[in-house]
Order: sequence, then structure tokens, then C-alpha cells
Amino acid sequence: MSRQHRRHQRLKLKSLYVWHRYIGLTAALFVLILAVTGLLLNHTERFAFDSRHVHNDWVLDWYGIEAPERYTSYALEGDHITLFGRHLYHNLHELEGEHEGLIGALRVGDLVVVAVDREILLLMGDGELVERLGGSEGVPSGMRRLGLDSDGALVVEGGHAYYQPDADFIRWRHWEGDPDTVTWTQADTLPDKLYEELVEHYRGEVLPVERVLLDLHSGRILGRHGYLVMDIAAVLLIALALSGSLIWLRRRR
Amino acid sequence: MPRSLLPLLTLLFLSWPTLLPAGGETVYQTPEAFLEQQFPDGVPEPDVVWLRGEVRETVKDILGHRYPSLRIRYWHKDGRSAWILDEIGKDLPITTGILVNAGRIEALRVLIFRESRGWEVRHEFFTDQFDQARLNEGHKLDRHIDNISGATLSVRAVTKLARLALYLDQWIRDDTQD
Repeated sequence: MSRQHRRHQRLKLKSLYVWHRYIGLTAALFVLILAVTGLLLNHTERFAFDSRHVHNDWVLDWYGIEAPERYTSYALEGDHITLFGRHLYHNLHELEGEHEGLIGALRVGDLVVVAVDREILLLMGDGELVERLGGSEGVPSGMRRLGLDSDGALVVEGGHAYYQPDADFIRWRHWEGDPDTVTWTQADTLPDKLYEELVEHYRGEVLPVERVLLDLHSGRILGRHGYLVMDIAAVLLIALALSGSLIWLRRRR
Repeated sequence: MPRSLLPLLTLLFLSWPTLLPAGGETVYQTPEAFLEQQFPDGVPEPDVVWLRGEVRETVKDILGHRYPSLRIRYWHKDGRSAWILDEIGKDLPITTGILVNAGRIEALRVLIFRESRGWEVRHEFFTDQFDQARLNEGHKLDRHIDNISGATLSVRAVTKLARLALYLDQWIRDDTQD
């Protein structure tokens, strides 16, 4: 092998080194992102990333997550039952499940009675669920509004008639009284402070950590075409592997 | 392979997703139908058991967490009590109907299944294992319940509900005697 040829080979190797170094530097950031997010995603269940939510305002704004502008709320002597989006709240405590509409809420004795969709939720004063009553528990269909009769007992206006439960909410019967004597519940506006706290709570319950990790991993956090960035990163990694192998092979010779 | 079988196999392949239970709520039997089946002479008026004090703690021990409501409805007549209970398998509640007769399970049916996996627990080969099961020390069942591969969480949930129904039945019977 001539001297000139050896020099040419050394120059080629040096050039490959330089390319390998720059590709490595460029890919390093992506490797870190892919490795860290991949590692975390492998342990989603252990760290409950699917049930934990992002609270960071910057990330929530980036995803365009906003609280709904409209809500329905009923005030009960200092407490508030509010439907915010599909989330139902007793003050700031979120109740289980998702709901389409809040029909009314009032206090009957020690219990808070909340009518949502086709169900009535019985709550303790602190918001703890006593029982969820549906059609099979006698709740009338097509509920329109709730109210209290002159004796302070619950009256429910159903699709075609008025109904009243017994004191334990176990048996229901037709109510034959005069609807004009009933004090029907009226929706109310929330105090500003509670509204702002609910907005914060609502936004913090929407975006699971797992979603952000997946979007970081796939590149989709950068938008609809963000995956192309990770595609380029993948190409760089392939180039890195190939250039590394080539350098190793040439140095062996 | 005969060519005539190709269209049939293609059809089977395409319809395969529809043969599997999809995610979402599947009602195998309504709670009302379950009660009517267990009480053919007429479903008795319901009663409620409040989960307070000792009962609440024992229920928590059995389930591994608090029951989502403070009271549970049940129907009882002639020493038999029926319970419609919910327990989460992985993410969503499985509604199960359980009839207890003299401290032993007479019938157990998965009524409503909402998860995307583990629906095999509705089959009789699984639910029949609970037939005549009763509680022994530590509120455990007196027998081993075989697992179903791929439905472990649903199996656990239904087994917990069987223990819960037996415990609550025992509690209301003791309470009535007092």
C-alpha cells in the first residue's frame, strides 16, 4: 500500500470521525429524551402516570386546555354543588363519575340531594357519597327539577308527574300536592374565588402525565407533525450506529 | 387449503373484532331481572345496611379500600338475601348480583361488565366455583377460586364481592338476632 493511499485512508477516517462526532452531538438530546421517556413509560403502572395529572400552567397552556366557560351551580347554605364541564363538585371536592347535566341540588335533613342526568346522588354534608340512586331504585325518569314541599320533604318533578321518596329514599310514590306550594331549587352563580379555584382544579384533572410522556417520546408534543422530528432523530441514530461500526472496522484494518 | 374456504376465512377474519366483546358497558342481566329470578314469588321491598364503625372497617379489610358509598341496598326474604354490588376490576366497576342463603352463596352472576378485558368472569365455569361457598376465619372463602388467565383483576374483584356479600349477610342476620 502506497504512502499516498494510506494518507487518503487516514483523511477518510478522520472525516468519518468528524461526521460521527457531529451526528452524535445532534442525536444526544433526542437519545436522552427517548431514553428517559421510554424508561418512564415502561413503569407507567408503578408510578401511576395514567392516573396522575399535570398541573403545570405552561404545559396545560401548551396543550390548549381551558376550563369550560359555562357551569351550573346550586348554593346550599354556604356549600356549592357545581357541574363544571362533565365534572361534578361539592365545593372543591370532585365527585366520582362524569355527568351531562345538573338538574338541582338541595339539603334534606342531614343529606344533600343532587339530581344529575337520570340519577339522584345522596351525599353527607361533607360530600361523602351515601348512595347513588337510579331508575331501578325508583328514581322517576325525565327529572326536571327538585324542590321542598311545605313540610320540608323532597319533591321531584318527573317527565309526567310529581314524586316523593320516603324518609330513607327507599320507596317512591306519586305526590299529589300543589306544585305552586313547592320551593323549587334555582341555579346560582359561584363566588369568584371558588370559580377560580375550580378552574385551577379542573385544568389539573384533565391531562394525564402518561399523555405528555407519550407525546414527548413520539415528538407529537411539538404539534401534529412533531413526529417528523423524532423520525429525523431515528435516522441520525441509524447514521450514528453505521458510522461507529465503519470507524471500528477501518481501525481494525 | 381448498380455495372455496378462502371467502369464509376472509369473512371470519374481518368479523373477528365484532366477535370479541368491545370496550364499554355490557349488560348480561339487569339487576331487576336478577332479583326477579332469585325471588320468583315477588321481589321483597329493599332494605339498607349502613357502613359505619366496625362494618365499615371490615368492608375495607375485605375490599382493600373503602366501599364507594356509605350504605348498601339489599333484598331479603325467608333467610335469603340478595346483593347488587360493584367493585372495580382494573378501571371500571363490575356489577355483580349475589344471593346468599343461610350463610352460603346460592347464586352469583356478573350483571354488568364495563372493562375491555376480563369479561370471562361472567361464564358459568367461573361463577359456579362460588356455589355453596361460605366464609371462614378472617372473612376468607372456604375454598380456592381458580384464576382465569388474562382476567386476574376481574377474578379478584368478583371474589372480593362474594366475600363482601357473605359478610354483610352474616352481619344483618346477627343484627336481626340482637
